[in-house]
Amino acid sequence: MKKKFLWLFMIMAALVLTACGGKGSGATSDSKNAEIKGKVVIYTSMYEDIIDNVKGKLKKEFPNLEVEFFQGGTGTLQSKVAAEMQANKLGADILMVAEPSYSLELKEKGVLHSYVSKNVENLALDYDKEGYWYPVRILNMVLAYNPEKYKKEQVAQSFDEFSKREDLKGKISIPDPLKSGTALAAVSALTEKYGEAYFETLAKQNPVVESGSVAVTKLETGEAAQIMILEESILKKREEESSALEVIYPTDGVISTPSTIMTIKEELSANKNIKAAEALTDWFLSPVGQEAIVAGWMHSVLKNPEKAPYDAKNTSEILNSVMKINWENTYRNREQLRKIFEKHVVK
Amino acid sequence: MSSIKKRHIDIKWIVILGIVAFLFVFEVVPLFNLLISSFFPKGTFSLESFKRVYTYDLNWTALKNTLITSGLTTIFGVMLAFPLAFLVGRTDMYGKKFFRTLFVVTYMVPPYVGAMAWLRLLNPKAGVLNKFLMNIFHLQKAPFNIYTIAGMVWVLTCFFYPYAFITISRAMEKMDPSLEEASKISGASPLKTLMTVTVPMMTPSIIAAGLLVFVASASVFGIPSIIGAPGKIYTVTTRIIDFVHIGSEEGLNDAMALAVFLMLIANVVLYITTFVIGKRQFITMSGKSTRPNIVELGKWRLPVTAIVSIFSFFVVILPFITVALTSFTVNMGKPIGLSNMSLAAWEKVFSRASIVSSTKNSIIAGIAAAFFGIVISCVMAYLLQRTNVKGKKIPDFLITLGSGTPSVTIALALIISMSGKFKINIYNTLSIMIVAYMIKYMMMGMRTVVSAMSQVHPSLEEAAQISGANWLQMLKDVTVPLIGASIVAGFFLIFMPSFYELTMSTLLYSSNTKTIGYELYIYQTYHSQQVASALATAILIFVIIINYVLNKLTKGQFSI
Repeated sequence: MKKKFLWLFMIMAALVLTACGGKGSGATSDSKNAEIKGKVVIYTSMYEDIIDNVKGKLKKEFPNLEVEFFQGGTGTLQSKVAAEMQANKLGADILMVAEPSYSLELKEKGVLHSYVSKNVENLALDYDKEGYWYPVRILNMVLAYNPEKYKKEQVAQSFDEFSKREDLKGKISIPDPLKSGTALAAVSALTEKYGEAYFETLAKQNPVVESGSVAVTKLETGEAAQIMILEESILKKREEESSALEVIYPTDGVISTPSTIMTIKEELSANKNIKAAEALTDWFLSPVGQEAIVAGWMHSVLKNPEKAPYDAKNTSEILNSVMKINWENTYRNREQLRKIFEKHVVK
Repeated sequence: MSSIKKRHIDIKWIVILGIVAFLFVFEVVPLFNLLISSFFPKGTFSLESFKRVYTYDLNWTALKNTLITSGLTTIFGVMLAFPLAFLVGRTDMYGKKFFRTLFVVTYMVPPYVGAMAWLRLLNPKAGVLNKFLMNIFHLQKAPFNIYTIAGMVWVLTCFFYPYAFITISRAMEKMDPSLEEASKISGASPLKTLMTVTVPMMTPSIIAAGLLVFVASASVFGIPSIIGAPGKIYTVTTRIIDFVHIGSEEGLNDAMALAVFLMLIANVVLYITTFVIGKRQFITMSGKSTRPNIVELGKWRLPVTAIVSIFSFFVVILPFITVALTSFTVNMGKPIGLSNMSLAAWEKVFSRASIVSSTKNSIIAGIAAAFFGIVISCVMAYLLQRTNVKGKKIPDFLITLGSGTPSVTIALALIISMSGKFKINIYNTLSIMIVAYMIKYMMMGMRTVVSAMSQVHPSLEEAAQISGANWLQMLKDVTVPLIGASIVAGFFLIFMPSFYELTMSTLLYSSNTKTIGYELYIYQTYHSQQVASALATAILIFVIIINYVLNKLTKGQFSI
């Protein structure tokens, strides 16, 4: 009997919450971007929480524009785009996915629209001079550990050490370059710095290949001692759940990926709304847009950003100590890099 | 008179042709299109992707692993399902109704969630159950390691034995008891009766059940990706998804070349099944008595109930308690306690607009897929069991082929073919998902209805027709009432996996058509395991409510 009541209660709760959740804040009509209308679809690998936050801000800025986000890992999005390209029409107008090498590829394939944003002056990072793509957020691959289960001395302080320390054997995890663009960037950077041998050595540590939340949970429960992961995953945990998990900025360099924003060429795009896409690009590259990015635990791409994400090391400090990544090589040798990874680590 | 007869045939044929046309357009054409693309990667014929895929060690290991894990899961699944179905359906064990619902619970939630629960319980370093056992028995090492073939088979079995249980228990409860009575009267012991009469009579259902388990466990992605990958146990599906995630045309071609293997296996299994079932046809319901006799367990009644209870605790209750507790936990590394509990995850489940709209999408797509799927299943059951039409095996074959094809292949095939290339554009709509779900899960419904139908003696239908009923009337008054419970069960067998479907939705969803399974997967993998757990618990509660309501409304007749 009690159980029945519990269920009933849950249903009621669900209904009430749904009803409340349905009402969003009304848009203001006196906004300067009122003339931007229609619809835009953005494929992105940003977290759902961040999208929610960004959506609210966009609604205020562009009251008459409907912005839809389609969220997925870079791998998923790339396969979707690849499949859609076979049908010669994409479901998106804007892409905000993991790393520049994919932008190079899409530019070469003639999928992108060129637009020189009015905000390029303020960018701290490289962008496409013809306006085909811009960095829009910085994602940092770092190491992380759980001070409640391990002491800092017990874990590696550099990527190099991470691949060698015997006492970490069987207790580490790394992200999958097939599914994540930042993980591919990491494979590229580490191969460039240490050669293929890095993964040969790393393989002996018997690392597990897995995604963000799964790896973080294993760090929390102590199943893993140390993981290679995006800084933002740990920062989010620290801010939202008062987690004790800590970021280690590797002494041999943070693997920093400027994630890009690109507009799809009008004839291939879903809504053929180039004007809106350009306005959105400008917004994302503006101080207000970047504020939303920083609130989402990612670093700003602007020169002298106002602040760094919650609990993060200063952006400029990170950018001064990054591991080099050759994006052209990452694009050209993508298959090769994946094979290196698979040959040593997956097998 | 003759004109009326002509019309009967017309209705029958229109329906059958409709099904074949549906399967042709949405399954054959897309899959063929994809197959062709795999042989003609850049417009010209090339076996390169096949060579590349099948000369690679890791892929061979994956093929081997798939055969081993799904083979063992089939054996264990049926070995578990048969006695459980017998106990629930044919004995006086305590709490039969409760157990019947409990045994199918794992069918009702995404296997992915179960994998996460077992990973929490039995991982070798921090597994809760492992730690508990180590404390009690003072063990130096964790007794279980989930990241092994055995671990994977365990989780697969927990999640796929219900397929067999549902099929077998339906058939068992509808069995004509007179043969068993005859055996007993002739002096056979209950055990002998079971082995010489009941089991042989059940053979077609058991084989059908095994086929369901095999195909389902061979094409599942969630469990091997969560439990297999950390232990470096790859299966064909995880490899295919990996190839797809490469995101290049070459990757797609490799995925397709590997998918051909799963199709092949599914077909081999299908032919063996058809051969065996075809050879031995049993009519077990004559219409004279539909209430099978109950075996009295006597002094075994309590011990058997106890054993079944312990089994259910470990297979069903414990994993779900784990998931439910996770949904309230703040820090998963710390012990459960008031200070480490919060409703934050639940709040997100009910307040996130995307979760609410995904739920709506999944309910709509699930109901549509189940409704159309069960209509087709019923017609197929009639076609297979009551007609001698040449080529009746073709739609049957296509439906089985669809369910044996890895989800990801179906999704890709549909994307490539249904975006306007062949004049149909349903890409980015809910329709493409409904079609995908039907192709993938219709077989569950069809097998259930077919096996129920195989036990209704045609004489009952003939009687109706002799009494002047036309084909539709006969179906309405005789056939459907007799197999009604199976139809409802079949509906849910299609609805449930469609409701929480993950693999195909991952590729087919658009921003307006996101589904609950994908939402769950994303939260589980990338964002927050607590929110994912809350969502999974909510799904479970939702499904139990449906089952309960259904059961109440139909006075215990209809539920899974």
